[in-house]
Amino acid sequence: MAREALREPSMEIVRYDTMKLSIRQRRVVALVVVISALMVWLAGAHWIDTTLGRPEVYSGATLLACLVGLMAIGMRKRLVVLPLWSVSTWVQVHIYTGLFACIVFAFHVPAIVANGVFEGGLSIMFLVVAASGVYGVFLSRTVPKRLTALSSQPRFDRIQWHRNQLAVAASDIIGELADTPDRSVVVSFFDQSLQPYFASSLSTRYLLFPSTSYRRKLLAELMELDRYLNSEVQLAAKRLAALIRHRDDLDYQNALQFRLRAWVVIHGSLSVLLIVWSLVHAYLAIWMHGR
Amino acid sequence: MAISPPPTYVRRPERWDQPMDASMTDADVAWLRSRQPFASLDSAAFPRSTPLDGVLRNDCRLIRCEPGEIIVREGDYGSSAFIVLAGSVSVFVSQLSPESLGRTEVKTKSWAQSLQAWWATSRHAEVRTAEQVAISSGPKIGQVDDRPAIFMQDFSAMIRQSETVSLGPSELFGEVAAMYRTPRPATVVAEVEATLVEVRWQGLRLLRKDKRFADQLEDHYRKNWLRIHLRELSLLRYVPDDSMDRVVKATALRSFGRIEWNNDFRRTQKLTSREQIENEPIVASEGQFPTDLIIVRSGFARASRSYGTGHQTTAYLGAGHVFGLAEAAHCAFRPENMPAMVLQQSLRAVGFVDTLHIPIEVVVEHVLPHVRRSELPTEVRHLAEARLGLNGDRRRIDRSAEHEASRYKANDIRVLMGNTSDHTGRLEFLVENRLFNGAQAMVIDLHRCTRCDECVKACASTHDGNPRFVRDGLQYGPLQFVQACMQCSDPVCMVGCPTGAIHRHTETGVIQIQESICVGCGVCSSSCPYQNIRMTPVNDLKGNPYRDSRSGLPILKATKCDMCQSQPTGPACVSSCPHDALVRIDLTRSEPLERWLEKR
Repeated sequence: MAREALREPSMEIVRYDTMKLSIRQRRVVALVVVISALMVWLAGAHWIDTTLGRPEVYSGATLLACLVGLMAIGMRKRLVVLPLWSVSTWVQVHIYTGLFACIVFAFHVPAIVANGVFEGGLSIMFLVVAASGVYGVFLSRTVPKRLTALSSQPRFDRIQWHRNQLAVAASDIIGELADTPDRSVVVSFFDQSLQPYFASSLSTRYLLFPSTSYRRKLLAELMELDRYLNSEVQLAAKRLAALIRHRDDLDYQNALQFRLRAWVVIHGSLSVLLIVWSLVHAYLAIWMHGR
Repeated sequence: MAISPPPTYVRRPERWDQPMDASMTDADVAWLRSRQPFASLDSAAFPRSTPLDGVLRNDCRLIRCEPGEIIVREGDYGSSAFIVLAGSVSVFVSQLSPESLGRTEVKTKSWAQSLQAWWATSRHAEVRTAEQVAISSGPKIGQVDDRPAIFMQDFSAMIRQSETVSLGPSELFGEVAAMYRTPRPATVVAEVEATLVEVRWQGLRLLRKDKRFADQLEDHYRKNWLRIHLRELSLLRYVPDDSMDRVVKATALRSFGRIEWNNDFRRTQKLTSREQIENEPIVASEGQFPTDLIIVRSGFARASRSYGTGHQTTAYLGAGHVFGLAEAAHCAFRPENMPAMVLQQSLRAVGFVDTLHIPIEVVVEHVLPHVRRSELPTEVRHLAEARLGLNGDRRRIDRSAEHEASRYKANDIRVLMGNTSDHTGRLEFLVENRLFNGAQAMVIDLHRCTRCDECVKACASTHDGNPRFVRDGLQYGPLQFVQACMQCSDPVCMVGCPTGAIHRHTETGVIQIQESICVGCGVCSSSCPYQNIRMTPVNDLKGNPYRDSRSGLPILKATKCDMCQSQPTGPACVSSCPHDALVRIDLTRSEPLERWLEKR
């Protein structure tokens, strides 16, 4: 055992990293695979067409298989105990299968939005799910950078706790002020504007459309009070301003993290609806063909 | 004139404010002084500030062991040595099975077992069966005096089956692990009722003031361990035996900093970067002429150079890294009219570092002639080539070792000189926060992490409904160093566990907890400098908390990341991350993190 004490620094430790290729290499490999699969699929469609087969059944079956494959990621996420490749590999397969499915969809439908309520609705549902998927990729690539740029990285479930802490800290700043004439200026502003702000929960409007306008308004109003304050109370006002910024950062974190979580729920729910609708469509198409 | 406020007087903390055992009495000390080896120690050799009696009273404790009691386990880390005063103990030379020490090997589950476990997940968190909470087979946990003790079952049969060495009164064991922060090399069990004195590391260092005792300690290390340690260095692998004898004889052993660096860590973290580096004990100073080639034997050190009015970290060094090689090689190969090269960097102990110092003349005469040119630092390679061009090939390499050497890569020299990085800020951050200790640190790229917490959910679903980490931690740029056990290369959490429940897996290096022998004392949790071990109350299958039948208090178990060793997926956190944002990475070297970031 003691021989291990002076372990060679070059000794390899088992490394747990899901990325075998760089992100760029992975993208290139995935696109090559999609293009190759598409060419094989098109060759199949052409052969079926020339042999007077039914290419719409071929494309429909391919689409249905893609949808089932796309849905399987939900199951994989729940079965974390099985070594069925990493979830990130599944996400990549999901994204590029989705891309492949969109192209097959273009070949499958007579028009982007088909005629009739049922068929038209199904087309719209497919397009909405595809668009939400693209939006999801956009979100997952842009939102993390915006979150990281903020001053703190609170966990979603702890944000409310942090808000409460800020409210307490703001009250403490007011409580610590000495009884000077300018104290009443800050106290009055605190009671009217800041206390309700710190005590409030996040509004739905902010949750959906986060903006710094209210923060800027509060900070501007607080700054305007500066002329009525001595240096000690000015310092307290600056500390309050820092808390306002912190609170707004928390709200922004909340809104962005909520957006990411809400997207997963919406995309998942719409996908379930789409696959049910597609199965009914497939059943009806086969049934109608039989008649 | 302004009157300055009156100062607040406090008592300066003193060395022995916290004795190892507060119940040690004058009578105990007097009794110890009558026993060997303390009877023959020269009390005049000890300074007035740290007298021998003070060492015995404050850095020692008496322990009584019952027959079959396991005193130390092979592979454990500890910061104290033991001297047998009465009775005898058995040292198991051959390796014992983990089961005999109360540990069960973690087996990777099959697909079916994983699915079954997933299906049978309890709706209550931290559920354990009665067998998991308390030991049912193998060793027994008992109480000896006022401390928990673990006993080997069927000790006499184990003695018969295994190769053992018996140690009697005045014999010392465990000092190598205590002094040099290495795993205990063997398991030691009390043969009969035995009385031992346990000496903590600080005391052991002080006892070395007595020359005979110090010589005895050093001779033992030099005879049994130093050659092994030196041979494992790639730099010395071609050195022939006769030269190695000279190297072993000339090598000095030194220690810098405090071995219990975790106690100071939280305090030093509050200091500014400049204060931190200035507080670090200096091993070698920039600008001085090199006198030794320094090899880091254990712990960590920082190489830095003066920059502006401060110091810029250039590398961090761990076990096996060398310092001063370029300067030593320059001395050896420079033309006679060229001045010697002074040390280009300083070396400081980060927390604690244990070093081997080979005098430069011995390096020049016995080491460098056997070092491959490709392994010399680039700045002196041309000198070596010029010298070799004049004198012919100086290498006297044993060609039979060539095959063994093939595993060393061409970039050996970079590896040997410590971990460097072009990104100085990140290097400084890793050193300041001692993150370089982590062999499997969890790092999240926040530019890709969507904060979905799939990693936390996956961890919870594979660990009794309770995640083994907190998705929070120190941040450098977009990198978050998460509060998850890093499977440290210097596992301070393993020092002091009374039953050996926390131990390192011999093959994977993962530090794991054998819950059935964990007594819930919380020593590991409070020792972890990164706060990555949590004490958790455990519940029965119905969700009711287990309670101690004697005290009625809840049964606590230490919980931490176990790298999902039993899962066929490997760490669930990594495999469940949808965006490749999370990685388990070796920070003891700078290269893996740099390679990972390059791919992003």
